[in-house]
Parts: sequence; C-alpha cells; structure tokens
Amino acid sequence: MGAIEVRGLVREFKKGPRAVDNIDLTVAEGEIYGFLGPNGAGKSTTVLMLTTLLPPTAGTATVAGFDIVKQGPQVRASIGAALQEAALDRFLTGREHIKLQGSLHGMKGADLRQRGNDLLERVGLTDAADRKVGGYSGGMKRRLDLALALLHRPRVLFLDEPTTGLDPQSRSALWDEVARLSREDGVTVFLTTQYLEEADALANRVGIIDHGTIVVEGTPDELKAEVGRSSVEIEPHDAARLADLERALAPFGEPMVTRGTRASIRLNEGVGDVAAIVRALDAQGIVVHQLRLREPTLDDVFLEKTGRSLEGSGDNDEDETPSA
Amino acid sequence: MSDFLHWLTAVQGIAVRQSSSFFKNPALVLPSLLFPMLFFAAFAGGLSDLNRIPGFDYTPGYTTFQYVFVLFQSSMFGGIFIGFAVARDFENGFARRLMIATPRRSAIMCGYGLAALVRSAVTIIFVTIVALVAGINVLGSPGQIVLLYVLALTSNILGSLWALGIAFRFQTLSVTPLMQIPFFILLFLAPVYVPIELLSGWIRHVADVNPVTFLLEGGRALMAGTTGPIVTAWLVVLIGGIVLGIWSLTGLRAAEKR
Ligand SMILES: Nc1ncnc2c1ncn2[C@@H]1O[C@H](COP(=O)(O)OP(=O)(O)O)[C@@H](O)[C@H]1O
Ligand SMILES: [Mg+2]
Repeated sequence: MGAIEVRGLVREFKKGPRAVDNIDLTVAEGEIYGFLGPNGAGKSTTVLMLTTLLPPTAGTATVAGFDIVKQGPQVRASIGAALQEAALDRFLTGREHIKLQGSLHGMKGADLRQRGNDLLERVGLTDAADRKVGGYSGGMKRRLDLALALLHRPRVLFLDEPTTGLDPQSRSALWDEVARLSREDGVTVFLTTQYLEEADALANRVGIIDHGTIVVEGTPDELKAEVGRSSVEIEPHDAARLADLERALAPFGEPMVTRGTRASIRLNEGVGDVAAIVRALDAQGIVVHQLRLREPTLDDVFLEKTGRSLEGSGDNDEDETPSA
Repeated sequence: MSDFLHWLTAVQGIAVRQSSSFFKNPALVLPSLLFPMLFFAAFAGGLSDLNRIPGFDYTPGYTTFQYVFVLFQSSMFGGIFIGFAVARDFENGFARRLMIATPRRSAIMCGYGLAALVRSAVTIIFVTIVALVAGINVLGSPGQIVLLYVLALTSNILGSLWALGIAFRFQTLSVTPLMQIPFFILLFLAPVYVPIELLSGWIRHVADVNPVTFLLEGGRALMAGTTGPIVTAWLVVLIGGIVLGIWSLTGLRAAEKR
C-alpha cells in the first residue's frame, strides 16, 4: 500500500468551482511526488484535504495507511506539513514555535530540546532562534516552517509551494534538504509547485493538475519522452545560407518552424546525432554561428496536454503565453 | 506517551503559547488589569453613599459588595476575550498549525480555555490586592472564600466556552461583539449596584430569573459568611458549563468541517 492513496477525491466549494474534481493518485513510501500545476489548479485544496484540514466532498484517501476522514488523529500524528502560507505567530520566537509544535505532538523535555536544536541548526536558524518571527525574512519563515513540520519525525511530509517567492540560493538549499529527507530518512514527500524545474529536479514522479483534474502522471523522463524528442536549433553565420542549412539538416529529423535566422529540427535519434550534424554542415561549408540543443521540458508536456503553457498560466491569465 | 498525557501536553503547550503572547503584549495586558479597576473605582468609590440608603444591609459594606461584582465581571470577560485571540488565530491562519498538528483537537479548546483561566487569575489577584488596600471586609470562613474564588473562576470558563463557540464557528474578528453583548446584558440586568431586594419593576423580574443574579448573590453571601443562593449558583455554573461546553465543542466540530 502506498504512503498516500487517493481515490476519486472531490472538493466543491459552496460559492465556487469544483476545486478538485475526481482525482486518483498513489504515492509510494519514500517517494517524492511533485504535484505540478498553475495557480488555482487545485493543489492547495488537495493538500488541505490530505492533511485533514478540509473534508472532501466525495472520494476517499489514506495517508500513512489511515483514512483522512475516519482516522484524522492518526493521520495528523503521522504527517508533517508546511502550508502555502506559513502559519506562524509573529510575536513568538522561533524556539517558542518549536516548543508549541512539540507539545502539540506530545513531545517535551530533553528530547524536544535536542530535536529542536538539531532542526534549527539544519535549517540555519540557530542564531535567529530567540528572535521574534515578525522580524524574519520570507526565506527564514519557510525554513522555520519546514523545521516545525519535521519536528516529530513524520513519515509523510506535505509541502505546499515551499519555494514560491524564495531567492535561488534558498530554493536550492531547500531542494537539497527535501532530497536528503527522502533519500536518507525515507520520508515520503508530497510537494506542490508551479515551477517546472522544481518538479523536474526533485520529484521521482510528477502529476500535472489543471482545473482540478490530473491531466497526466509519470516520472519526469517518461512524461518528456511522451511528448517528444530532443531538438536542435542552429543559426548559420551567413543568414543567406539558411535554406542550405535546412536541407543539410533534413536527414536528421523533422524540420520545425523556423524563426527568422535559425533552423530547428526534432532529432530522430536524439542527442547522439549532433556530432554527425556538425560534420555534415562542415562538409557543406556552412559556418555555424550558434547551436542550441533543447531537451523537451515539462512545459512541453503541459502544453501538449492542456493547450496552454504552464509558465505564466493560471487563474488570472488563461491566455496562451506567446512562445517567444 | 499515552493518549491522555499527549493530550495534556498539547493543552499545556497551547496555553503557554497563548499566555506568553498575551503577557508580552502591554497593549493587551494593561486593559485587562485597568478595566476592572475602573469599574471598581467608579462603583465602589462613586456610589459608596449607597451604604446609607435604607434597605442596604450587606454587612461587609458597599465596597465589598462591589468587589464581588467586579470579581465575577472581570473573570467572565477574561474568558470572553480569549475568543478574540482565537478569532485572530483563525483569521491569520495560525489556527491551522494547531488543527493540523493536534491529534485530539479538543486539546485546542481546552488549551485556550486554560490560558483564559490563567489570565483571569492574574486579573483577580491584582483586583483583590487593590480591593484589600481599599478596605474590603472578608467575613466568610476560609472555606467559603475558597468556594467564592472557585465560583468566580468557573464563571470564567463559562465566558470562555461561549466565546470559543463563536470564534470556532465564525473564525473572524468581526463577530467579537457577539461574544460580549449577551454577557454584558446578563451582567447588567443582574443586581449590580444594589441588592436584589432593592430592585423593582421589570428589572426585578428579569433579575429574579437571571442566572448571573445567583452568581453575584451567592458570591456575596460567601464573602459575607451569610446564607444566600449558593447552591443555585453552583447549579448555574454546572448547567451553564454543560450547555456551553456542548456549544463550544460543536463549534470546534464545525470548524473542522469548513
Ligand atoms: N475557501 C474557498 N472557497 C471558495 N473557493 C475556493 C476556496 N479555496 C480555493 N478555492 C478555489 O478553488 C480553486 C483551487 O484553488 P487552490 O487549491 O488554492 O489552487 P492552487 O493551490 O493550485 O493554486 C481556485 O479556483 C480557488 O479560487
Ligand atoms: Mg496553492
């Protein structure tokens, strides 16, 4: 049985849409599951249901083997969660949050102190631990929230957009930490994100959600393989030779729309062809100004499945973003 | 750790957090101490001539008579104000931390309640010191005085349960008047300034059936070491506790379903 099993989960809001519309998913023990989707897709609503904060309208789910509706207390004892908006009290210090969180989980005394100090150290908040949270930066709040979520050594961790709004350093530090948790401690991680790179870099498996339904699911490589192969884009030194270039490339794959001064093809054989292409161009005397190799991204997957680009797509701007 | 010990630890943790937030914030602490003093000074000082009106026969005197009112009033309102804190925690999302991490969520209700009790105890101590300096007369036996304070603190729990029930249901600060107004009405339709025998007309009829009347009259009797509706006062807190306990607990269940 998976660490998270979801069957036909639905959540309707009274004056709103079907925020989550009949989703099924399974997350294996120790896996990092990336729940990828634009703003308003239903990611947070799913997390709120799985963490027993919101009852589902229909469907069932188990987390750590416990039913989210009938066994709320057991679910809560098994999970840690850092929600999209970190729930912190700005008048309390980091350490006071640790004490509170520990007591909610029935921890106290030396065990709690030790564990709290270890985690504060791990998230780099030892020096700030006795300062009020009101003075923390966004990144510090996220890190404290993560430390709090991990305090009682949960088997399943929920992270709702943990890196939204973080600077690149904080983001990669958090990625390292999440990867370590899964690898070394065997923690199952359910992570939502709007960022393709995040899902790609971190998740063992990705589910793409849009308008409350999961449009496609698989490992990042499977998903990318499904939409297509690598492509190469070449700009000749002499723009007049663009037509020659296109002809020279033709044997290696299907030509793609060429913009202005560049020719692109989708490679039949994958990256291995690049050497042969360069030799062929050399033989024709075409001087290459720029050569760009492009792997398919999860955005291509999203585009293929929804007809929209994930980047910049969401509640407010449903329009297709120009593929500039 | 057993389930019960775990539950107790959670109650304690919530109470400690709530209390440390509160006592570190002068903007909250000062009013909670000063308002009861204001009432006490205004009524006991300004109306002390009532001592001499015919029919006022409360042996310990008017200051003591008013002290008992302020005791119950500040205790109840100490409970009601915890509803403000809970509503704020729901508004800014902090309550989610409690809801998601506490296996048995009744600990949330009891933790906030305990914080209210601690806070009212501090207010009561403060008011009592001032009252002793102002010259109240404690005529009841030590046992009666203990009963008086237990009764006052129990009425704090009634205030908490009422306000928690509202905070859990509405989860917004905009409903705080709803927490206070019913208790205000009950308190001021009780014999606040004069003994019930001196009230007449419709206010007497209301006071005769107002549960707060029994608390005040019972409390005053304990203070004076005389007889009064003491048993009725205990019945009031018992029945009130059960009814408001259900109100608060069903409020918590409603909060879980939002
Ligand atoms: N409490 C609520 N009441 C009504 N509608 C809501 C509520 N919460 C979320 N929604 C709606 O449900 C949809 C999904 O929201 P959400 O799960 O927050 O998306 P995401 O986390 O993927 O950005 C959105 O259309 C949002 O407006
Ligand atoms: Mg969200």
